[in-house]
Amino acid sequence: MTLAVAPPGTDPSGTTLWRPLSRNDIDLLVRSLSHAYEVVGARERRGRVVLDRIDDPAELLLEYSPKVHSPKKFLFPNWEKLFRFRLGGKVLLESERAAVPRVIFGMHPCDLHAVQILDDCLFEGEADSAYRAKREATILIGVDCVPDEHCFCTSMGTDRSAGGFDLFFHRVAEGYLLQVGSERGEALLRRHAPQVASRPGEPPMPWQAKQTGTGLRFPFESLAPLLGEAYDHPIWKAVGEKCLGCGACTLMCPSCYCFNVEDRMDIDLEGGARVRTWDSCQFDQFTRVSGGSEFRANQADRQRHRFFRKYKYLWEKHQRTACVGCGRCSRECLARIAPTEVLNNLFEERALPALKSPGAEYHPQLADIVAVEDLTANEKIFRLRLDGPLDFSPGAFMAVSVFGLGEAPFTIASAPGSGAEIEIVVRAAGNLTRALHRLRAGDTVGVRGPFGSGFPLQEFQGKDLLLVAGGMGLITLRSLLHAILARRADFGRVTLLYGAKDVADILFRQELLRWHREGLLDCRFALRAENNGWGVLRGDVTKLFKDLEIVPARSVAAISGPAAMYRFTNPLLLRLGFSEESIYLNLERHMKCGLGKCGKCRINDICVCECGPIFPYSRVRHLKEAIER
Amino acid sequence: MKRRIGFFDFTGCEGCQLTVLNLEDTLLDLLDLVEIVEFREVMSGSGGELDIAFVEGSICRPDEVERLQAIRARSKTLVALGACADTAGVNALSHFRDLQQLQRDVYGDHPTPAGRPRPLSAVVQVDCRVPGCPIDGQEFLSVLKALLMGKPPELPAYAVCVECKLAELPCTFDQGIVCLGPVTRAGCGAICLLGGDRCRGCRGMIDNPRAQPYDRILVEHGLSEADILREFRTFNMSGEKGQ
Repeated sequence: MTLAVAPPGTDPSGTTLWRPLSRNDIDLLVRSLSHAYEVVGARERRGRVVLDRIDDPAELLLEYSPKVHSPKKFLFPNWEKLFRFRLGGKVLLESERAAVPRVIFGMHPCDLHAVQILDDCLFEGEADSAYRAKREATILIGVDCVPDEHCFCTSMGTDRSAGGFDLFFHRVAEGYLLQVGSERGEALLRRHAPQVASRPGEPPMPWQAKQTGTGLRFPFESLAPLLGEAYDHPIWKAVGEKCLGCGACTLMCPSCYCFNVEDRMDIDLEGGARVRTWDSCQFDQFTRVSGGSEFRANQADRQRHRFFRKYKYLWEKHQRTACVGCGRCSRECLARIAPTEVLNNLFEERALPALKSPGAEYHPQLADIVAVEDLTANEKIFRLRLDGPLDFSPGAFMAVSVFGLGEAPFTIASAPGSGAEIEIVVRAAGNLTRALHRLRAGDTVGVRGPFGSGFPLQEFQGKDLLLVAGGMGLITLRSLLHAILARRADFGRVTLLYGAKDVADILFRQELLRWHREGLLDCRFALRAENNGWGVLRGDVTKLFKDLEIVPARSVAAISGPAAMYRFTNPLLLRLGFSEESIYLNLERHMKCGLGKCGKCRINDICVCECGPIFPYSRVRHLKEAIER
Repeated sequence: MKRRIGFFDFTGCEGCQLTVLNLEDTLLDLLDLVEIVEFREVMSGSGGELDIAFVEGSICRPDEVERLQAIRARSKTLVALGACADTAGVNALSHFRDLQQLQRDVYGDHPTPAGRPRPLSAVVQVDCRVPGCPIDGQEFLSVLKALLMGKPPELPAYAVCVECKLAELPCTFDQGIVCLGPVTRAGCGAICLLGGDRCRGCRGMIDNPRAQPYDRILVEHGLSEADILREFRTFNMSGEKGQ
């Protein structure tokens, strides 16, 4: 077996916990649950889908549009008694009784993510007991969804849920597959649907890529720094001038939880309740203080506050954006204020004017390090912010300077079209790279580039792609993979063969596994280490050239790895039937000047930094130096 | 000692007082708290000092002015009950009619010196108000409770849109139907939208209506300036005159 990656919900032996069941099984489950819980779910009410109490299982909708109010109303209701009090004589306080045991049957993945945000915020510090009581008494059952034109979950990484649910129903042609997400879910299943619980599991279904109607044109990790620079931007005035201040955006938001607290007296005026109701940063009076002054009176400031809170403040606090891309705010906004539009505008405007080559000749431009993250024990990924956007194709590289130590070329690991930010991966090997490893976010480096010509993505369109990576060669292919996934529908089957030393050396492990699970590409790994932790094939990448579902006539191959690898992979590819024109090789060398002058990257008669580093095999097959050793 | 309250009506339909009478579940509890000393719809008048006077209707005639002033003089707190008393309500539409013709239509052969209908605040000091046509019974109760507790009653500062969303109703604009919800003060529970209609603004505008963006949306929905004025005219004449 070439892939032994354990998907979630499976045990190491590979036994899955996904059980098949029919709609009738679900109806029986709902009926049984109704005896122990209040079951709420999606159903029709006055021509609109609402989450409401389900009395008849037949009413329960499992496939429903995202145009529905969020399940927040059950976990954090608009009107909630915190406690009761009696006046007259001694004041008596009465706690509220425990929460109703409830099952929310049918939460979309974005709403499951939103619950995590509520958890972050409401359990932080002194936990909110009213929320906790409801949270603990509520079973969360997920169902999948079909995004509409307002959804942008795929941009926020919330279109799938790996956890945060007790049970999750996946629709398949012949019924449903049930995924268990918690021990509570498993116990629930055994008690309320024993006939389903005892069924043998099936392998997890291949996950389909979701298509959303809108999205961010840049990674969501860039949101916080982007907004950090946009506090005084005129866009907030423009948004404020469109805004009606109706608060629909925050009321509909599955993760907004700001509230007001008031005492509501009984009619006898002898007792009452302290009541919590939803409030909104968009309302007049939200920031009013005694004496009447309002310290965020302007609608532009209020809208800015909403965006900053969603995408910057809470991100910095919890490392999770407080927006799940459900699209409710824009779907319900009469003034048509859409977050993706605002954020993309900000991003693109900051990115203009287009700057194709930062740094003139040998003089680097300064770039900020936005983020540094460990990829493996030896490799770190750096996100650099330049003055303007870069135009390049995957395979291009940048020359990065640490002043005092010099300059070195690094392949761009991020996708083209990500604006003014790029990612590079650095392995600590020499003085310069070790110095880079010591740098932190906020530090400055010099950059020149982009240099070189990359993979001709246009020519890959409509074809099946075979990507072969060895070791650090994956970094270049990662840029290509991101570019492909940004327009996944334009390409056929994508297969990645990746050889590395051991599990710990696999670069972008989580990302690759996620794409694999989502069915976006077929990832196969070979590891040279004995008894590697994943139990995948032992050996080098050539061992993976088996059982490939590839029709070479309609495929192209992109190969990136050490020169020694090409000596073995090229003959294999040619034997499979790939033409010399359909094999693209990454021939990275020490591309010192990037301008075709210094001569360090010349292979025989070609200059890699000028003509490459990506070449079709047909162009370089005469270069024995390049591909034979 | 129970507080003494009275209900009075001027030019109006008395629907707001009827709303109070319709609070059947709580009416008896209410009578434990207050003594209703005047309520023409259910009893004959007694006069005397009042803690709270709830006054319905607009003021049109000189005799109404005198009667209102007399009520004011013997009431500690005077509350405008409903749109007619609060903003002159639909009565204000008569501003678009010839006054003499109107007098003939209303009073026939009995000439009466009636003028343009005015809100109570044009004649006497009004301490607080319960908006709406008719009023919302629960809002009436919370205003009354606040007054009895000795705190100034607060009306929602947000718009009807909020209550419409909370009721999970579809937006009328999605069906191309113009609605005054975005600028009208909440507190009614979006009752008209619940009933399948749109908001016509009977509760008056919020303190800070976002006029420009709202105007833009109405224009986008094909309304001319005249159409927009007509929309507001039904209940918000004072807003129009302010423009």
